[in-house]
Amino acid sequence: MDWNCCWTKEQIEPGECPNIRESDDSLRTLLSRRIAEKCFYCDRFRDDLRRLSEVDQPLARLVPQLIEGLRDQKNQIASMAGSLDSRNQEISFLHELAEVLQTTMNLDEVLSVAMTAITAGKGFGMNRAFLLLTDKCQHNLGIGPRNLQEAWETWEEISHHNYSLTEMASQFFNTKLRTEKAKFHDILTRLGTLLLDDGHILSRILHGHRPLMVDGRVRAAEGDDGLSEFLEVDSYLIMPLVCRNRAVGVIVADNYVTHKSITRQDLESLETFGYTVAFAIERASLYDQLQEKIERLVDANEQLLEQQEQIVRMEKLALVGEITSSIAHSIRNPLMTIGGFARSLLRKKTDDDPLREHLQSLVTAAQQLDDVLNEVLTSSDSLYPTRDQWDVNLLVYRVNEELAERLVQRNIAVRLDLPQNLPMAFIDFRQITFCVKTIIINLLDSLPDGSEVTVTTRLMPEGIVLEASATPVPLGHTVSGLGIMVCRNLLEKQEIPFTITTTDQEISFRITVPVERRE
Amino acid sequence: MARLLVIDDEANIRLLYAQELGDEGYEVVTAATVNEALQRLDEQSFDLVVLDIKLKSESGLDLLQQIVRERHNLPVILCSAFSCYKDDFSAWLADGYVVKSSNIEELKVEIDKVLGKKTHRG
Repeated sequence: MDWNCCWTKEQIEPGECPNIRESDDSLRTLLSRRIAEKCFYCDRFRDDLRRLSEVDQPLARLVPQLIEGLRDQKNQIASMAGSLDSRNQEISFLHELAEVLQTTMNLDEVLSVAMTAITAGKGFGMNRAFLLLTDKCQHNLGIGPRNLQEAWETWEEISHHNYSLTEMASQFFNTKLRTEKAKFHDILTRLGTLLLDDGHILSRILHGHRPLMVDGRVRAAEGDDGLSEFLEVDSYLIMPLVCRNRAVGVIVADNYVTHKSITRQDLESLETFGYTVAFAIERASLYDQLQEKIERLVDANEQLLEQQEQIVRMEKLALVGEITSSIAHSIRNPLMTIGGFARSLLRKKTDDDPLREHLQSLVTAAQQLDDVLNEVLTSSDSLYPTRDQWDVNLLVYRVNEELAERLVQRNIAVRLDLPQNLPMAFIDFRQITFCVKTIIINLLDSLPDGSEVTVTTRLMPEGIVLEASATPVPLGHTVSGLGIMVCRNLLEKQEIPFTITTTDQEISFRITVPVERRE
Repeated sequence: MARLLVIDDEANIRLLYAQELGDEGYEVVTAATVNEALQRLDEQSFDLVVLDIKLKSESGLDLLQQIVRERHNLPVILCSAFSCYKDDFSAWLADGYVVKSSNIEELKVEIDKVLGKKTHRG
């Protein structure tokens, strides 16, 4: 039988087979390959087969069957190779994605990479995606166009620049993160609220830890709580992000612009991707927490150091206080003996006794030493001011009482102008008492006998003003001296304003104490 | 005439108290130590005790507690060179607190006040 096709020849000449091009030249000498790759698809070969089947031979009918089977096998192999190629690309993509995700600890950067991967053509190629986090809703993110025009502009830009996934993610993080968040604020807010509703499909998928592809069939069977209407798409997928059995968030993705249907394979690919993203999110969150804890530890450590320094300082100050107190004890007893006996003797001397003047000097000197001692001790006490609510008028009355004897001796009158409606002041009663007493003593020491001192209190916006003044200005009066110095020091430490005003007519000391608690 | 017991480890101070308070019309008995004071308290009755806080190695505050416990009608005025004990809880048991100074007038005023009030504890 004469055959039309060249399948019977071991070797053929150039141009003998119309299906063999110059690039396939090697097939001219390789019969089996030539049959599988060219002859099976050649019309002349089909014609030869038809003629062969007409021959009355049982095997003649088997050959076309074998060839058909071989064709099917070949197609399956081609399909598997395509699928394999696609899987290889996917693995390669996931590998790149994992590498990128592992290089960052910044949560927003992780989210940027994840969202770029979902929507990029080089990634999963979804039109639009929303990522909602369970713990940090301020990081919720949307990505994609809101309309067709925006979609075209974006895709054109991407195709023009041919960015890699890393470049796209980096660009998104640096320039678009905030604007995309703002752009999808309404949708993100709504989805965030729905996620908190335990019965909603979003929440159910999140806590069920299984992804779902929602299409018309699913909607008809189970419903989707109106989510497809809200998103304005027919199909979408919900991908829970689960890490160590903990739901960290959920991704909602759809093809809002192209309306391309989502396949089961899309869902499976995204599921693998979801694990990587969930781990990256969890790691970034843990890193954030770690940083916070480190900052707290650093702060606590600084506070501890400060407190240790304060303790050392206080121990030193306590020692100073102890020494001062001990000195006071050593001085006060002999001082009491000297002053006490001098007073006792003075009282028994007649006015014309020549010793009277000497005894008076002893009494005055002892009194001065008493005052200095009190000032030094009060200064030491000032290391630990104890503030509380006190009546300033009561304080003035007490001071006036304490100085009563001196005032009588000197025939000096103290005029008190103390309004009754004053609020309580927030002060260290002992220290302010000391200050007021010292100020009045300072005035008394330089005033001639028979003078007058005025003490007033009044409420002002800045606090209660306590003023002691004398008219006219005492001759040769100075506002120096240890007592005033100690007062100034005490008041400064408590941030209490202290002013001394001297005019030709008057000298006044003014203290403004706070009404409110001040730490 | 009110009888006072003055307890102070300084002989000069005891002498001063005896003279000054005696001039005021009080009968003054003095003691230098806790034991001596307890002995005086057992021997006779007093209207008021003037007590120093630091008595050499002994504590006037301990004695104050004992007096308050055993003779709770007997008023005590603490008279010390230390002002810091004013804030000490144990010192609050006393009826008065005077810081020693060259002028004994404050103590006299305090004694008058406490005796005038006829303080009764319990």
